[in-house]
Amino acid sequence: MTFDELRKQAIAEWEALQKSDKPRILVGMATCGRAAGAGALVNLIKEELSRRSIGAVVTEVGCIGMCYAEPLVDIIKPGRPRICYGNVTPETAAELIEDYLINDNPRPDLAMGTIGEETIEGIPKLTDLTIMKPQVRISLRNCGHIDPDDIRQYIANSGYNGLIRVLEMTPKEVVDEVSKSGLRGRGGAGAYTGFKWERLWEAPGNEKYLICNADEGDPGAFMDRSLLEGDPHSVLEGMLIGAYATRSNHGYIYCRAEYPLAIQRLETAIKQMKEYNLLGDNILGTDFSFDLTIKEGAGAFVCGEETALMMSIEGRRGMPRPRPPFPAQSGLWGKPSNVNNVETWANISAIFQRDADWYAQYGTESSKGTKTFALAGKIVNTGLVEVPLGITIGEIIYEVGGGIVDNKKFKAVLTGGPSGGCLPASQLDLPVDYESLTQAGTIMGSGGFVVADEDTCMVDMAKFFLSFTQDESCGKCTPCRVGTRHMLDILERISRGKGQLDDIERLERLANTIKATSLCQLGGSAPNPVLTTLRYFREEYEEHIEKKRCEAGVCRTLVRAPCQNACPAGIDVPRYIRAIIQGKPEVATAVIREKVPFPAVLGYICVHFCEAKCRRGQLDDAIAIRLLKRYAAERDDGDWKQRIKKLPPTEKKVAIAGSGPAGLTAAYYLAKQGHTVTVFEAESKPGGLLRYGIPEYRLPNSIVDKEISDILEVGVELKTNSPLQDLAATFEQGYSAIFLATGALSSRKMGIPGEDIGGVMHALDFLKRVNAGEKVELGKKVAVIGGGNAAVDAARTALRLGTEQVNIIYRRSREELPALSEEIEEAEHEGIKLDVLAAPTEVLSDNGRLTGLKCIRMELGSPDAGGRRRPVPQEGSEFDVAVDNVIIAVGQEVPKSTLPEELEFTGFGTLQVDPETLQTNVDGVFAGGDVVSGPADVIAAIAAGRLVASSIDQYLGGDGDIDEVLASPEGEVEPFNVEEAEGEKYRIAMKLLSLDKRGNCFDMVELGYENGEAVEEADRCLRCDLEETD
Amino acid sequence: MGEITLTIDGQEIIGDEGMTVLDVAKRAGIYIPTLCYHPDLAPYGACRLCIVEIEKMRGLPTSCTTPANNGMVVQTKTPQLQEFRRGVLELMLSEHPHPCLTCWRRERCGPFDICLRNVDVTQRCVLCPKNKICELQDVVDYIGIADVDLPYTSRELPVDRENPFFERDYNLCILCGRCVRMCQEVRGIGAIAFTSRGSESLPGTAFGRPLRDSDCKYCGACVDVCPTGALIERRRKWEGVAEDKVATTCPYCGVGCQLELELKGGRIMEVIPLQDNDVNRGQACVKGRFGITEFVHHPDRLTTPLIKKNGGLEEATWDEALELVASKLSGLKKDEVAVISSAKCTNEDNYVVQKFARTAFGHNSVDHCARL
Repeated sequence: MTFDELRKQAIAEWEALQKSDKPRILVGMATCGRAAGAGALVNLIKEELSRRSIGAVVTEVGCIGMCYAEPLVDIIKPGRPRICYGNVTPETAAELIEDYLINDNPRPDLAMGTIGEETIEGIPKLTDLTIMKPQVRISLRNCGHIDPDDIRQYIANSGYNGLIRVLEMTPKEVVDEVSKSGLRGRGGAGAYTGFKWERLWEAPGNEKYLICNADEGDPGAFMDRSLLEGDPHSVLEGMLIGAYATRSNHGYIYCRAEYPLAIQRLETAIKQMKEYNLLGDNILGTDFSFDLTIKEGAGAFVCGEETALMMSIEGRRGMPRPRPPFPAQSGLWGKPSNVNNVETWANISAIFQRDADWYAQYGTESSKGTKTFALAGKIVNTGLVEVPLGITIGEIIYEVGGGIVDNKKFKAVLTGGPSGGCLPASQLDLPVDYESLTQAGTIMGSGGFVVADEDTCMVDMAKFFLSFTQDESCGKCTPCRVGTRHMLDILERISRGKGQLDDIERLERLANTIKATSLCQLGGSAPNPVLTTLRYFREEYEEHIEKKRCEAGVCRTLVRAPCQNACPAGIDVPRYIRAIIQGKPEVATAVIREKVPFPAVLGYICVHFCEAKCRRGQLDDAIAIRLLKRYAAERDDGDWKQRIKKLPPTEKKVAIAGSGPAGLTAAYYLAKQGHTVTVFEAESKPGGLLRYGIPEYRLPNSIVDKEISDILEVGVELKTNSPLQDLAATFEQGYSAIFLATGALSSRKMGIPGEDIGGVMHALDFLKRVNAGEKVELGKKVAVIGGGNAAVDAARTALRLGTEQVNIIYRRSREELPALSEEIEEAEHEGIKLDVLAAPTEVLSDNGRLTGLKCIRMELGSPDAGGRRRPVPQEGSEFDVAVDNVIIAVGQEVPKSTLPEELEFTGFGTLQVDPETLQTNVDGVFAGGDVVSGPADVIAAIAAGRLVASSIDQYLGGDGDIDEVLASPEGEVEPFNVEEAEGEKYRIAMKLLSLDKRGNCFDMVELGYENGEAVEEADRCLRCDLEETD
Repeated sequence: MGEITLTIDGQEIIGDEGMTVLDVAKRAGIYIPTLCYHPDLAPYGACRLCIVEIEKMRGLPTSCTTPANNGMVVQTKTPQLQEFRRGVLELMLSEHPHPCLTCWRRERCGPFDICLRNVDVTQRCVLCPKNKICELQDVVDYIGIADVDLPYTSRELPVDRENPFFERDYNLCILCGRCVRMCQEVRGIGAIAFTSRGSESLPGTAFGRPLRDSDCKYCGACVDVCPTGALIERRRKWEGVAEDKVATTCPYCGVGCQLELELKGGRIMEVIPLQDNDVNRGQACVKGRFGITEFVHHPDRLTTPLIKKNGGLEEATWDEALELVASKLSGLKKDEVAVISSAKCTNEDNYVVQKFARTAFGHNSVDHCARL
């Protein structure tokens, strides 16, 4: 049979299969599918079909890349388009057979998409999914579509047409066509494939070796495996073409032994090729002969390096040797050789099945074609994607990849595996091509794409990848073997808080030596993760070294417990939770008070960064740390007062401007350090935003009053209605230091027409008037603009004032709402409507009377420098909303004009201070809280108050040690078995004021835990502080 | 083979095709520091000290592995190169004891000098058998290391003394790979290879078994190429530097290996196979390498012929002895005599023995101990 006849036969069979009157079921049976249970699933499907006597054809195919949705099952019913179902379980598989195969209900609820031209109502086209839309599948063209064990299916889909075309050409013409396609090596280094082939082509003789590098070893990379498992012939055809072009007579496929399925597929494919005379002597009757051997690698990462790989084929220890001589001069067994990666070979067969121009239309000027990436890490759509080069990193992460898991903040992406580098959010616009990535400090590599979110510590990440390369270093050359070990030792000590100040410089020096002098690229690129994290995340290293702090809460030695680590004031959460479990809430309060003078306020309204990091949250629900704090604070017996540290008077006077949380915290600790403290408050009552900015139903003023009185009790003088404005005059009055904590109380405007009209209010003014007891008249319909806590507070307050309908209009998506989720939920329960992805463009009025808002719909565009996707107006989507009042809550600013003019400001309009001491440019004048940070949280303001108290104390000659022990010493802690506590147990629900009682009153909504509830809730704690660290 | 011209450090140098850049530089007397390079071994490129800058070539190629091409312009001593060499050497020293190497007083120290510095005895160069003949010392001298900024970590391995010939102290190993390659490439044995990976890598036998369980022939070729004190002949360990050297032919067999006896105080301290001869080209077997010193200086060694008189052996002169043998032999008949010779004799001696048997006795009853 000639190849032509074979092809005709294969196509006829394929078409018959497509038009078959039997249903067809395709099951993704690559390793990823099997790991997700596809093996059992396929058996179950077959059993179910035979039990119900359904004559369906079940085909095991490769992976189409959507690994996050494995197992994937596609069903094709005669006359219907192919439907792809994801996350198929044995139950849903049985349901699909029943509902779709028997009853013709395609179950859109289980479907991911349809494949092909026709559609089914309620099911999107697979190619319209965000993960699929930007993809151009060239090397992965057949994966998931054909039976990889059937060469005839490959042939029916243009398979071996490339070889047939090549056999009509001269070898040099073939080489030239590869050069013309612009294809570059997909294994990592990106050398021009045509150039490499030409070197081998011009080498004399025909005893030359072609090698397929399938020693895929990067952590997080699996594109070669998937390709070999899903479409081995595309790789083998590429090798045949290469052999013909370079006049090579023997080929090796070096595949790691850990890929048994890939090896099995290759073996089957090679056997079939031999059957059809596509391999061996006189291929297809020509005088072209080529044979192939599979060589299993034992799993050494370094054997992916071509010279080490060839050593390994020769049966020796895989250790690289310097080039020159290059493999094309002296390679395997000393003969001219060429090594290309699996994906490169698959691209070759695609190029010759079409042509070079077709291939070169994709990609950029210097990086042609497509590249497969293995998305892994904290990304929603983990899997394999093939995209045209030149796509931006942001597009890969947010469009193809579906963004970050749990809507956390993107932090970095590591491209190119352990030899690559970490790119930060500021590089999200970087086009993915060889040159751009190199310039940014990383590499294309084989296509690993590991995404890290805010919970990843970059020192730890660099350490992880460096320990990998150190382990995998072959040990031959000194810089790689010894240098990476020293770098790893340094990273290890930094992550243990034992870093030395010059360690960063030492790391850089070592990295430069290793890069410049290593024998091969394993060593030459091993420092990349460290160098790029140093380049983009240097402050994290400095924080570990200087402050012994790991912001992400990862480095175990530095982090007692993630909750405590996340608290800006460093409250010992594990200990007070334990006190609550022991039935000693008063001890818990004392523990809290060791770090903050506002336990109750925080218990009512803290934004609880601690809960976001709580490990229990990864299991079921985070511990209700804030509510437990409230429980403890409400049971404060004042016993701690006996133990407070009060130093003898120093005769030094400190003036504090502002009596918000920052000012009062500083006042409290400074007074206890023996200084004479006076707080100047512009308003008539102290408390700042605690009193005026937060509604009564969340934080009653009585609570604020109680905690302020405890503060004043230690000897703080308070002057209300007394703004502090003149620094010089204050110093003249005998004050030695001034602390400015006047907040960021100026409301930001939206900058749209009509916003100055009557009926438009700013959230802060509105809340302040209501909190001060003023009567505020509102119409029937109110729109609140913004998505922060102030917006939700204003909306819920408006509702309590009797407004019938309140809408919150927010320009980003619901997931991005910055307000606390529990507040948003309650707002919705109370009947407030959320209108997300919308922004006002004009305040409408009729004769000076506010009538409504003109808004426009937004959609999420490319990510900004912070990694959040920018909202972009959708043209022509304007719509009007009829409202009587508009409350603007789009943020606050520091009122520059009210601050002394000798002070320096930052570009953000906040006060410029030394981050270590919080001192401004004026000697003796300090600043902290919102006036420095911009609008932030109460706990951040308290932390700033603590920092400034310590700093001012040192400025005044003290030792700056404001820590104190208020709780009685904790006895021996009982051992805790974490396994026993790991069973699912959700948070004890907080009792809330019933909706009908909330009506027009400002009663507290959260009712607080009872004793039993609190102990039960606290006992869910996993006691991370007791975990043993090595 | 054609001639090629290279410019090295501004100097035009003629080389032969097939040479490496290092070969050409050496021919012109230009010193480039090396540790893993050895003329008998294939280019390797592991120690990274011989890096050079070559115009139109990326990075810093190692001169020991880079084929020399006509027209190459090479720099061997730029400040950048010296800086990187220093960096690499520091890394090496962070795994090799080095307080003496970086000590400002080292010029004044003789072997075994007592030092008041707070340095471990085991870390002192003055107590190392390779002191003053150590290639690492030479390279440190050339590059100059004032201080090593990286912490020194000893591998804390026990010294292997399981064979009577040489010790293996891998705490001093710099992984140049010469021993491994010598055993593999030249001796064709492969008793040792690199084991483990990353910073754990070391030369060793398969599965860490003792050498006697490996294919080791104890030829000592590995000892001869070790640039540091990691592999050292046990007998000469504390002998220091030789006072004199004498070339000789190995007495053990007829091959005629050329050896150099290193002498001190009139005694042989070590036997080194001679490089520049066509017989053994720097190689010897276990007998020639380790078996000479002991028997030469053994108190039981016969230094004169002995004649049995009155039931005992008595010292005699060669003349007396030969006279006695000749007189006894001449009294014998042809078929009463057989001649046996020794593998320890040279080919020439054995030739004379058979000639003697055939002409003096007229028979062919000649044999040789190697056939027994």
